[in-house]
Amino acid sequence: MWNELLYAFEAVATLPNFLAMFAGIWAGVIIGAIPGMTGTMAVTLALPFTFYLPPVTSILLLVALYKGSTYGGSISAILIKTPGTASAACTVLDGYPLARAGKGGKALNMALVSSCIGDFISNISLFFLAIPLATFALRVGPPEFFMLMAFSLTIVASISGRSLVLGIISACLGLLLATVGEDMYGSFRFALSEDMKSGLGMVPVLIGLFALPELIKMVVFRPEDNAAAMKLGDNRLTLSEVRGSIKSIFRGSIIGVILGAIPGIGPSTAAFFSYSEARRTSKNGDKFGEGELEGIAASESANNGSCGATMIPLLALGVPGDVITGVMLGAFMIHGLTPGPLLFQNNIGDVYALFIGILFSSVFLFIAGKATAGAFTKISRIPQTLLLPCILILCVYGIYSIGASPFDVTVLLVMGVVGFAMMLLNIPAAPFLIAFILGPMFEDNMRRSLAISRGDLGVFFQSWISWGFFALTVLFVILTIRREWKKWRDNRNADASSAS
Amino acid sequence: MNQNRDFYAGLVATVFFAVILFVLIPIYVKVPSFIPGFAPPPDMWPRVVAVIGLVMGVLALVLAFPKMREASRNQVSSLGNRVLGNKTHLMRFVIVLIVFAAFVYGMPLIGFVPATVLLLGALFIMTGNFERKFWMIGLSIIFPVLLYLLFTKVTHTPFPEGKLLSLSLSDLVTL
Repeated sequence: MWNELLYAFEAVATLPNFLAMFAGIWAGVIIGAIPGMTGTMAVTLALPFTFYLPPVTSILLLVALYKGSTYGGSISAILIKTPGTASAACTVLDGYPLARAGKGGKALNMALVSSCIGDFISNISLFFLAIPLATFALRVGPPEFFMLMAFSLTIVASISGRSLVLGIISACLGLLLATVGEDMYGSFRFALSEDMKSGLGMVPVLIGLFALPELIKMVVFRPEDNAAAMKLGDNRLTLSEVRGSIKSIFRGSIIGVILGAIPGIGPSTAAFFSYSEARRTSKNGDKFGEGELEGIAASESANNGSCGATMIPLLALGVPGDVITGVMLGAFMIHGLTPGPLLFQNNIGDVYALFIGILFSSVFLFIAGKATAGAFTKISRIPQTLLLPCILILCVYGIYSIGASPFDVTVLLVMGVVGFAMMLLNIPAAPFLIAFILGPMFEDNMRRSLAISRGDLGVFFQSWISWGFFALTVLFVILTIRREWKKWRDNRNADASSAS
Repeated sequence: MNQNRDFYAGLVATVFFAVILFVLIPIYVKVPSFIPGFAPPPDMWPRVVAVIGLVMGVLALVLAFPKMREASRNQVSSLGNRVLGNKTHLMRFVIVLIVFAAFVYGMPLIGFVPATVLLLGALFIMTGNFERKFWMIGLSIIFPVLLYLLFTKVTHTPFPEGKLLSLSLSDLVTL
């Protein structure tokens, strides 16, 4: 094995490979930072270029683009409240308040450090845990998936802010909008127009809900500090700040690796899951959502942590976990490699070269991120009156380019108005978002499980994985009810004492 | 202040989810005559969600009502009241809606680039801050054009050219 590793190292440590990775990461960071341009788009656009490259270099280029775009999404999420990718949506919650407080650079640095650590742990796990994690992932069927999604939806209680009731209302709205379009058996739901038959795109809904309300608020209320740029404070990230978030970074990375290895889950769920866990366990949990560095660390380590792990089912089983790894599967096959168990027997040299190359990518991510973040921080210096309208136009172009569909642009603008109405009514947007992302997975797996079991609810309790998630869900619901009860009782006592 | 907002949020949610449950689901969620296996019908999940939303809306109303009555004695006003109470804010919000609607309906007619130029210009005007007039005028024209070039070159996106601009003289005569 060591000899093969040495040969693989020699094969991968070449200038063309390093250039491909560096270019991929750099382009990925920039593409990820542009709202509407996704990692999938970047990888798909780069695919034709790989025809002329050797197999390992091609795959490294695509992996680099994927990782770069996942990190890049956090840049726009932090600086302009516009998550470049769905997986960066969670980063908005703490990143933007920090940027508004003049700590945009600090937030970007925390996102970069936690992304690189998450990415590195993910790469190491790809190296050593590919087979056991792939075997575990195979045991996760629709019932286990359903239980995992049920537990993930309890995150709503953590991110509801002041009122749990309003948080649940927001989540219900998200779950309902996620049902628009064709269901798993081909029935159309809420298809009020022909365009709605294909459902509402995640990116237009996401960007509309987060980015546009700020612009509408500025236009309607015209606050005094309109013309001012965001403050630029101390942007250095101290060692003690990293140390304070290190637990969340490691936990987020592990969550990212485990969830990333399960096909179909993806980095967005991992980010929300990690954020929620960090909030539950952190001593600064109450400050999450108001500009807490640990919140950024938790979500960014998880979403980048799942990047390398999505390669596990692809390489070990030949199963692509999401659209990006689906494109990568195509790239493998174009070069005559068939992912799956046989890949490890017939092309072990290529596999090791790939593993080593991916390890290098964490270093390149740090360099590219550090260089790019500095330039992006300057966006904070543009006055809001100029910046916000330009962001809307950027979003309009980015979203139109996804599917060349005017309907997506309409969804963006309508969701902006909905987001503004939610802002006025104090309904939190974060539960809407998590419900919109997880809702289809929750429903599909519930219906699929019941179809498999011929309507028997016992299907949800047939494995220890399901039981584990069920127990966690029940425990968390009980804790939430207890907390809410205590809060209500304290408020009542406070009211009574102030009245007397 | 929050009590008023909670009350309005509860009211809006109750009405919204009631409309979904009693009007939209029966009309717009078709249940097929045959469903393979024992899978729940397509309207099951939207109904469950709408019922939960409706219950939560009512709960928000019930919880906010006594506090709001108490708070109304202190003459507190909410952000929602600010919009409804202040005609200028309401007018600005209506203008935003008109501008967005004009963009959506006008874009296929005049083309994507002119529509985005006009939208950006309108948004700059609506910010009410004219300290950087030249920046605003310059950006309104240059920024959409740059984005158009970027997206057409990189992603080869076919942006609509506009029906009016693509009409030839003979088309106009025919019209």
